[in-house]
Amino acid sequence: MKEFWSVFKHGISIENPLTVLMIGLCATLAVSTQVEGSLAMSVAVIFVLVMSNVLISAFRKFIPVEVRIPIFIVIIASFVTIVDLFLKAFSPDIYAVLGIWIPLIVVNCIILGRAEAFAYHNTVLLSIADGLGMGLGYTLVIVGMAFIREFFGTGQVKVMGATVLSMPSGYQGPNILLLFPGAFIVFGFIIALMRWLNDRSAARKEA
Amino acid sequence: MKSSPLRLILSVLVTCVVAASGLAVTYSITAPRIAAQEKAAEEDALAAVLPQAADFEGVDDATLVAAREAAGDTDVSALYVARDDSGATVGWGLRVASRGYGGPINMVIGLDRNGKVVGLTILAMNETPGLGTRVRTEPWFLEQFKTLPPNFGEADVKKLDMISGATKSSRGVRNSMLAAGRIYEQVLSEKVE
Repeated sequence: MKEFWSVFKHGISIENPLTVLMIGLCATLAVSTQVEGSLAMSVAVIFVLVMSNVLISAFRKFIPVEVRIPIFIVIIASFVTIVDLFLKAFSPDIYAVLGIWIPLIVVNCIILGRAEAFAYHNTVLLSIADGLGMGLGYTLVIVGMAFIREFFGTGQVKVMGATVLSMPSGYQGPNILLLFPGAFIVFGFIIALMRWLNDRSAARKEA
Repeated sequence: MKSSPLRLILSVLVTCVVAASGLAVTYSITAPRIAAQEKAAEEDALAAVLPQAADFEGVDDATLVAAREAAGDTDVSALYVARDDSGATVGWGLRVASRGYGGPINMVIGLDRNGKVVGLTILAMNETPGLGTRVRTEPWFLEQFKTLPPNFGEADVKKLDMISGATKSSRGVRNSMLAAGRIYEQVLSEKVE
C-alpha cells in the first residue's frame, strides 16, 4: 500500500507528466483556454490512462515485446473511441468544446508513455496508482492553467453556464493569454512554480 | 527471449478482434443517440432561424448542386425549403460552413421568400474561446445581419461591423452570409412561385 501511494504521488509531483516529463503538451496548450473544457479533457484522459494501464499491466506477460507498441496503440485507441462516442451521444455540449482533441488523446504521449514506461513492467495495482497519479497531475496543471488564462483573459470563469468568478465590470483582459503565445508564457511560469515546490520538498527531505 | 512469428501474429490478432468487438458494441449502443442528438440540434437551429415555418424539406439534388456552385468557397451541406401550415413556401434554411480562424464555422441561416435574413445561428465552431467565440457571445454581431435588405449583395454585407481582435472569425461568418446572398440571387429567387 505504501508503494501505491508513493507511485501515486510521483505522478503529481516529481514525475508530473506535464511539468516534469513534458509530454502531451500539444492538447494541453490548446484546450487550456477554458476551465470547463479542461475538466472534461482531464476526465477523458484519466479514464483512458487508467483503463489502458490496467489492461496492459494485466496482460503484460502475454504481450510479446516485439509487437508491444501496436498492441498498446490498439488498446488505447479503442478506449479513446469509446470515450469519443459516449461524449458525442450523452454530452454533445462538452463534445462541442473539445472537438478534435478527444480523438487526439490516442496520440497523446502521456498514455503511450506510461504504458511503455510503467504498465508494461508493473502490477495492475501499481499501474492503477500510476494512472490516477499521472491523471491527477495532468488535471492540476491543465485546470490551473485554464483558470489563469480564462480568468485574466476574459475576466470571468464559467462552468456549466454559471459564472463562478468574475472581474469587476469594465475589465479588459490581455487577449494574448487566450492565444498560443499566452499558453507558452503561462506554462513557463507553472513549470517554474512546480520546480520550486519539488526542490523545496526535496530539500526538506534531506534536512 | 525471441517470440515465434506465430505468437506475434496471434497476439496482435486477438487484441484487434477483442478491440473491434468492444467498439462494435459501443457503437451500436451510442449510434442511435448520436444520430438523434444531431438531428435535434439541426431541427432546433432551423426552427430558431425560421420561426414562421411549420415544416422543412430538403431540396432536390439539382438545386443543391446549383447552390453549391453559387456558394463558391463556402461549403453548403444542406438546403431546406420552409413551408407554413398551408404548404406555401415561406423561405429557406441553409446549412453552410466557411473557414474561420480555427476551422470551419458551421452556421444555419434562414432566408424569407424575398431573400431577407430572418435568422441565423452558429451550430459548431472551433474558434479561440473568449476571442473568436465572441461572434456568438456578443449578440449584436449576428443580429446586425438581420438588418440587411432583401436580396442583399456584397456591398450591403461589407457595410456591417466586424469584431476587432476576431477579424478572421468575423470574416468566416461574413463569407457564409455572402454565400447565402449569392445562393438566393442565383438559385432560390427563381423558385418563388
